[in-house]
Amino acid sequence: MLNKFYIILIILTYSQSLNSQEKEKMVNDSVKIRKLEQVIVSATRVKRQFSSLPLPAQIILNKEIRTTNSIRLSDLLNEQTGLITVSDFGGGEGIQLQGLDSQYTLILIDGLPVIGRSAGTLDLNRINTGNVQQIEVVKGASSSLYGSEALGGVINIITKMPKDGLNSSLDYSLSTFNSQDLSFNLNTKIKQFGILFFINNHISDGYDLLDGDFQQTVEPFKNHTLNTKLTYNISEKILLTASFKNYIETQNNVVSKSLNGESEINEWTNLFKIDHSFNENIKSTFEFYTARYQAKEYLNDISGNLFSKSSFDQVLIKPELRSTFSLDKQNSFIGGIGLTSERIDRVEFIDTPKFNSTYAYIQYDGYFNNNTSLILGARFDNHNVYNSQFSPKAAIRVKINNNFSIKSSIGYGFKAPDFRQLYFNFSNATFGYTVLGYNAVSKIIPQLKSEGQLASIIVPISNFDNELKAENAISFNFGINYSPSSKFKLDINFFRNDIKDLIDTQVIAQKTNGQNVFSYYNIARVFTEGLELNSLWKINNNVAISGGYQLLIAKDKETEIQFKNGNIYARLNPSSPSFQLNSNDYFGLFNRSRHMGNIKIFYNIPKWNLETNLRVTYRTKYGLSDTNGNNSLDKYDNFVNPYSIWSMDVTKTLYTKYQIGYGVKNIFDFKDPQNISNIAGKIIYIKFNINL
Amino acid sequence: MKNFKLFILLTTAITGFNSCSEEEDAIQLLPVQTKQITNLHAPQSGGMGQPVSGDFVKFNFSTGETTTNDKEWDIAFRGTSIIVNGGTSLETIDEPNRTGKGAVYIASGTMASVTEIDTTLLTQDSESNYAILTGGGNGWYDYAGPPTHLISPIAGKILVFKTHDGLYAKVEILSYYKDSPSQPDAFKDGPNYYTFNYVYQPNKGIVIFE
Repeated sequence: MLNKFYIILIILTYSQSLNSQEKEKMVNDSVKIRKLEQVIVSATRVKRQFSSLPLPAQIILNKEIRTTNSIRLSDLLNEQTGLITVSDFGGGEGIQLQGLDSQYTLILIDGLPVIGRSAGTLDLNRINTGNVQQIEVVKGASSSLYGSEALGGVINIITKMPKDGLNSSLDYSLSTFNSQDLSFNLNTKIKQFGILFFINNHISDGYDLLDGDFQQTVEPFKNHTLNTKLTYNISEKILLTASFKNYIETQNNVVSKSLNGESEINEWTNLFKIDHSFNENIKSTFEFYTARYQAKEYLNDISGNLFSKSSFDQVLIKPELRSTFSLDKQNSFIGGIGLTSERIDRVEFIDTPKFNSTYAYIQYDGYFNNNTSLILGARFDNHNVYNSQFSPKAAIRVKINNNFSIKSSIGYGFKAPDFRQLYFNFSNATFGYTVLGYNAVSKIIPQLKSEGQLASIIVPISNFDNELKAENAISFNFGINYSPSSKFKLDINFFRNDIKDLIDTQVIAQKTNGQNVFSYYNIARVFTEGLELNSLWKINNNVAISGGYQLLIAKDKETEIQFKNGNIYARLNPSSPSFQLNSNDYFGLFNRSRHMGNIKIFYNIPKWNLETNLRVTYRTKYGLSDTNGNNSLDKYDNFVNPYSIWSMDVTKTLYTKYQIGYGVKNIFDFKDPQNISNIAGKIIYIKFNINL
Repeated sequence: MKNFKLFILLTTAITGFNSCSEEEDAIQLLPVQTKQITNLHAPQSGGMGQPVSGDFVKFNFSTGETTTNDKEWDIAFRGTSIIVNGGTSLETIDEPNRTGKGAVYIASGTMASVTEIDTTLLTQDSESNYAILTGGGNGWYDYAGPPTHLISPIAGKILVFKTHDGLYAKVEILSYYKDSPSQPDAFKDGPNYYTFNYVYQPNKGIVIFE
């Protein structure tokens, strides 16, 4: 069926007249066109001038990835303003953006979703930065283009494409904890053919922050990434791309002295893509993307017999067809239709659920009066399980004068209930509580009741007749850009996200063993708001300083009311009596610092072919959990202390083809073993790079 | 949840007209007793998916001590469960029969702010539920779940009891771990060790704690 589709598409594309050169179209907001204009693709699905974008966005260039030797994506993102990675207790590290949890930021590679959120978090450490061209971060709801999950924003990792000539490179690094990373990149384009080949091998002994227990904080692991891309220009107008990626990770799995085994992740993605320029003004892309994520783990007891095993198997198929129509140099439209089909096989699910959704989107990108850019877009998602979603967005940027511009955007974002929230049927073997997905309640509760396991039903089953709603948000951004010269720029952005129908767990029944049965429901209303500031000062050709700051207030609206009404109490220490709290005592959501900042200094010494940098990130105190018996974070709780992390790198280039790098991450060896599991302490590395 | 509260309200409204209306001579009033009990150890067997068993540790407010007497006890502890000497047994293994007038409700407030007993809220144990519901967030404690598995008394929850002989006491549970550590560890610090403050009103028919 799909083969037929390809053939039709290819015939269709051939039958078009071929009479114009492919040219990158860009909207220019300035008379002078700088030679190296930065482009961003995540905001409009086509290469677009970054400087005139009406949305709050950041670009992390390949140069920064290279000079800071950020092998792990999480290292890199942690140093960006307003981004922080948070680890879940399963060990995955996810990103927090504008104060929103990691499940609300869509992670894309080349515009396509990365799957495998086994517990909501997408572990960023799975993504290797070795063949990354640039990383684009778009803040604010972006469901108008990307649908579910893009509630808080989008992080799009753009990988390299085959280029003219023959380029290859070999990278090796050795760092603390016996971590070794070896990459080989081959990139060539001969006439119509382009090939990109990337292979990476990473091994590490992991690390242990807490002595005296049988486990390490991170157990030894190894992983491999293989990525190949083939491109073929059928003509100047038609480009075929086939891309394949495979990631395998194995890690020791230790639960107790007597129980240990191994966990394995296996991930494949395939992309087939046709780009066709019908003429200067109309271009189409057809993409067929498939992804599979498998996670398996087992535990053996002391005599080597199998104690437990579990598996998670997710498959995604996503064809999409999109076209851009440029009316003229100032006005263009992009529209797309697509289908997402997804299924998960997991032991703890009531069946093998399938999600099917079809979607269509359209977006206008316009530029007028020589000073105003406008983006208007909307997307419609029709889903077989949850309610359909309509996600509009509008953004405007006005250039007041050559130095000064303002921009503002408003958008709707949503996150569909995930498979776990709908189909989970899990009973904890050790403690005896049960967690049921929303759609599993009507089936499992009567079953538990007939087995005599229920003492009482607290929420009647009829409450689960309606569908669980998608979590949704309205996000608003307002920003000011000030750039008095090419040497200095300052961006300030105010943001506010109002989230509704947040999915939380509640107790729905009590079991005869005294434990609860939990299920999911739409309840909470939460907001995050704050201010983000980014500045860059190029002192001269060799010295640049950048600084960033984020102020964040993130609160649950119901909890805020509870505090206001004096319904929340606390204790100073566990053996002292309770006292009443008021609104001023409410700190906000867990895991969020009020202030975060970073300063980076880049210093080049050309006569020695030396590039150096020094980077500091800082965050103020935050709470991890309630410590005084009221389930919310108040100023009498125990907080994780503020901390800063200092890092530096030196890279020397020899005979243009060779590079040697040395660096220290976390120079002052900051650690907080009790509270922060993903900060391993000081890491020293040395790396070698050869451009063949 | 609301329905459940309503249910409690209704049942107490129907069955709860048992407060004493006799006035005693004000001059003869006994002083209100305030005390702290530390490390009352109330372990349980089973649990974790298995049937729960083990003796309840019974407590008497007027003596301020634990007791093994089958009748003269007011409240009893086993694991995280607290029962009253009034109502019907849930009939778990080793559960004592109720012989007294005991009942309870959970008030929001501090020990100081709960000064008057609302006798209409008092509930007894029943064959379907203990009056103090079990499970995290339902009764007197929160359960943190993995990875800490901590049981923490909810701040601002005052347990108001009617004793087996129809008197009143209010209780604030402070800790579930041995020696009330400031940062308890559910795996290292012994669980099932109750530390609580209580105020006992030894005068019949008095519904205020003064």
